[in-house]
Amino acid sequence: MEGIGYKILGALLTTLLAFTVGMFYAGFRRKIIARIQNRVGPPVYQNFLDVLKLLSKKTSVNHGIMQHLAPLWLITMSVSTLMFIPVLKDGLFFTNLNFSGDLIFLLYIMVFGPLGMALGAGQTGNPNSAIGVSRGLTQMVGFEIPWIMAIVALMIQYKTTSVTGLLDIQSQNGTWMMFSSPLAFIAALLAMPGMFRYAPFDIVGAPAELASGPISEFGGKYLSTMMTSGSIFAFVKLTLYVDLFMGGASNLIELVIKTFALYMYPVLWGAVSPRFRTEQAVRYFWGWPLFFGFAALIYAAF
Amino acid sequence: MYNDKESQKIVDIIQNFARKHSLFVLAYGTGCGAIEIPPTMTSRYDAERFGIRGAATPRQADVLLITGYLATKTLKRVIRVYEQMQDPKYVMGFGSCAINGGMYWDSYNTINMLDKYIPVDVYINGCMPRPEAVIAGFVKLQKLIQEGKADGWDRYKKNLDEYRANQKKIITNWVMPDFNR
Amino acid sequence: MSSLVILILIIAGFALLSYFGHSINKTAGNIAVFAAAVLIPLYWFTRVDFSETVSFTISGFQMELGYNMYGKLFSLIVMILSPLALIYALGYMKDSKRTGTFYFSFLFSILGMTGILMSRDFISLFIFWEIMTWSSYLLVIFLGKDVEKTGIRYMVFSALGAYAMFMAIVIIHRNTGSMMLNDYFNAFGNFSTGTKFLTGILLMFGFALKSAVMPVHVWAPGAYSNTPMAYTSVFSGALSKMGVYGLGFVVINLFAHANLHFAGTILAWLGAVTAVLATFSAIFQDDAKKLLAYSSIAQLGYIVTGIGIGTELSIFAGLYLAVLHAAFKGVLFMAAGAVERQAGSTDMTEVTGLIRKMPLTFFASLVAIIALAGVPPLGGFVGKWMLYESLINNGNFLMVIMIFLSSTAAFLYSYKFLFGLFLGQEEPEFENVKEASPLMTIPMLLLSVFLMITGSFPGIVFKYIAEGMTDLGFHDVNWQMSVLTNAWGDSVNLQHVTLSIGVVFVVFLIFLTWKGYKKTYYVSTKDISSSGEVIKPEDNMTYSTDFYKPFERVLHPILKRKIEKYYDEFGEGIGALFDFMRRIYTGNGQTYAFYVIVFLVILLVFSKNIFGY
Repeated sequence: MEGIGYKILGALLTTLLAFTVGMFYAGFRRKIIARIQNRVGPPVYQNFLDVLKLLSKKTSVNHGIMQHLAPLWLITMSVSTLMFIPVLKDGLFFTNLNFSGDLIFLLYIMVFGPLGMALGAGQTGNPNSAIGVSRGLTQMVGFEIPWIMAIVALMIQYKTTSVTGLLDIQSQNGTWMMFSSPLAFIAALLAMPGMFRYAPFDIVGAPAELASGPISEFGGKYLSTMMTSGSIFAFVKLTLYVDLFMGGASNLIELVIKTFALYMYPVLWGAVSPRFRTEQAVRYFWGWPLFFGFAALIYAAF
Repeated sequence: MYNDKESQKIVDIIQNFARKHSLFVLAYGTGCGAIEIPPTMTSRYDAERFGIRGAATPRQADVLLITGYLATKTLKRVIRVYEQMQDPKYVMGFGSCAINGGMYWDSYNTINMLDKYIPVDVYINGCMPRPEAVIAGFVKLQKLIQEGKADGWDRYKKNLDEYRANQKKIITNWVMPDFNR
Repeated sequence: MSSLVILILIIAGFALLSYFGHSINKTAGNIAVFAAAVLIPLYWFTRVDFSETVSFTISGFQMELGYNMYGKLFSLIVMILSPLALIYALGYMKDSKRTGTFYFSFLFSILGMTGILMSRDFISLFIFWEIMTWSSYLLVIFLGKDVEKTGIRYMVFSALGAYAMFMAIVIIHRNTGSMMLNDYFNAFGNFSTGTKFLTGILLMFGFALKSAVMPVHVWAPGAYSNTPMAYTSVFSGALSKMGVYGLGFVVINLFAHANLHFAGTILAWLGAVTAVLATFSAIFQDDAKKLLAYSSIAQLGYIVTGIGIGTELSIFAGLYLAVLHAAFKGVLFMAAGAVERQAGSTDMTEVTGLIRKMPLTFFASLVAIIALAGVPPLGGFVGKWMLYESLINNGNFLMVIMIFLSSTAAFLYSYKFLFGLFLGQEEPEFENVKEASPLMTIPMLLLSVFLMITGSFPGIVFKYIAEGMTDLGFHDVNWQMSVLTNAWGDSVNLQHVTLSIGVVFVVFLIFLTWKGYKKTYYVSTKDISSSGEVIKPEDNMTYSTDFYKPFERVLHPILKRKIEKYYDEFGEGIGALFDFMRRIYTGNGQTYAFYVIVFLVILLVFSKNIFGY
């Protein structure tokens, strides 16, 4: 059980699971948006084909070492964040390194990728990329504040900063944190669409105005690595929300049901939304989400 | 194993399957045909069924659509965009203007045969082709990709000198960066 | 003779030697500076006896020099950063004039810092403090740029701090009859409430001023960015830490001897406000030096917050951040200096695309920026983590939010620094820029190696911090080589973190760079997807003006008011007052005679009250 072989197998299995689930979720998203727009839409496995096609491109172009490394930073961040998140409550293969990190660490490692990506996008010299990065970082300052407020509220209320500790408390109390600390849940939920960058917060990629922003100079194997990373990271974010607020999951089916239910919220909101301007997005995050964050903090502290 | 011909064949089949079903389209609106792209993509005809979706920049794109007549000024940009795309890449010519100049065949500022300047894989006839015809063109392109016959990018690389000579005849002040592959 | 006195004499000797060396010729002076950079730390590390004390009496005042472990921790910063900065300066100041004065002031400020850290009484502390202040003032005005504004600001504020400190010393001497620091702390509990507040606040004001805490930070941006960059790395990295050093022992000893926790809380709040506002200011700077200067203020805000909270973990975090800040801000100022020297400017709207011209400088700045942003797996994360955890464990949730806001917003200026100078399109204007000389790059790279090691093994720094904290009254400080633990028992295993990140990174690096059947081409930054337009070499497409315009629109209501304005208005008021005073001195003898008569009349009228008879 403690052998290094099991550990490596578990890590590979977790990554594969995250990739598959994330890819299918993205496929479902495209399908759902198509149905909302009264279209048939692509098959749900379309994103696998996209990744495979991009991977089978015969050439790739980069503008220098930072652009070459940019997708690498992203996928390193996604996979290593995955390693520190409890995917299942007590799985044999999905334990990985859960006990070596805590929530503050997770918050910080989650910006490792975007920052590296931003550096790569900066090196391309494409003005659209730089504008996209400027918008993305601004938006990040927006949504991180209510999100950290929600998390700090949980930490202060339950006197632990580790995800596994919060999971244990939920199973001991027999209730989910979305019920035992609802204000924090609301704040985190309101900040969530910003994290996923779907409409109305798709101001970074904005294909119609920025020509897909930071990724505009990436193609072939770079873009395929980035899509892979994106799907893994979507799974990571959903799993983190489920672990924090919905009591985690004890088997894969439960996990898929919970994460999919959660995933529908940004997707459905995005499907019917236009796009915010950057300052509107930040003002949105510093409005009601911030209010609920403060309320959660006060609720937790007193 | 890696250079083995049989396994390479299997890899090719898988890759061509992926390429065929995932076409990122760079709709470069050169002429009047650009207006046919939105109906092709949206609810009525829904090209996304075939895995066709828009790409924002040439780096991400697979298919370049030349939608209609091509002015000599635009040709320079088209060549630039085409050379920025990653292999394998495909070109679709829309309408009679792309085939032989159409009603602009004797105009001083449009080119007559697109294939002389960049290799075209699929032509769609009509003036302009309706979305149904566009989709039919895409299906044809998919078939060619599956069979491995959509090799315009390869022809362009092999016959680069010829294409360049033709391009330079039209574009007199040639300041383009080198095509580096 | 005692090793401490010898140390001070050696530094003073090298200062004179490099001054006279430079007045003979440059080579002789440079050899003297290089010898100083090697021999001073060598002597400090091998010969200085840290248990030794030297005491002597001058005109009735007892003075005592001697290290404690807390001072040793800060000396470590001085003794590692300053020699590297000196070696860097050899490259940086190669073509400058008046280098003799520069190195003289430089070494004298090292002397001042070394002296402060071994003073055990207020008199020697004050003397060394003034040596440090004046030598740094000479360097602030060294380039002769903007002397009226930044030079005078720095001098006025330093003088204010010195007066405050001097007042405190006088009051303390009247109350205790001794000049020793320990006597003050021991007697503190018995002071009257007024004296407690007065001495504490005056001392804190003096120290907080040097560490650029919010209301008295205005001298810092100008002073940091106007000084030659070779010195600014020490100025921001080590000299400002003297304020932190002072705040640390004052705050903590006052906690220990009298329950004054709210004073620490106020200090912590000031630190948090400083961090947030300075970060916001840094984001909108277009000059890389100004950006780094504001960022220094923000980082010192974190440190002050950590010290002010006063729990074990928070002080630990504050001291750790102080060490780390010296390293990464040292690298960043050196990098800005290298860019200034090689490319001629640090204006981020002008300089672009130096990454392929100056790869080593870029690499060092990248490492330093990652450490600054606090992203794992580099050393900066450790400090950030401990600070957050200490604040959360302590229940200071609003302060956590402020610090978090500040460090999230720090990503904005971190990125802007790297993007503005090194990334973006490569311009023909900077085609002939070369990498800086090895004298400049090697110190940067050494410091960035230190930053990388502390990411997985922060224990090498923890050891000295734990020793230093025993002198502040914290015994049995828990630390492990690479595991961080907070008060609730939650921990981060840094080796697992580094291992996981490293393995994934290497796997995908091989995947991406493995040639295989795919060809990867390098294209120039002029070959971008720009709707088919061919970009001419002289067209600059880089987006760097008004880089964070949307964020500026968001923050507009907050940033409308600037604290400098209040100081300027105050200064104008004072100017008007003295303008009025000047009118009294007419220069006419009769007027003065009239004044004398009036004075005598007043004396006569009130003589009984004044002289008591």
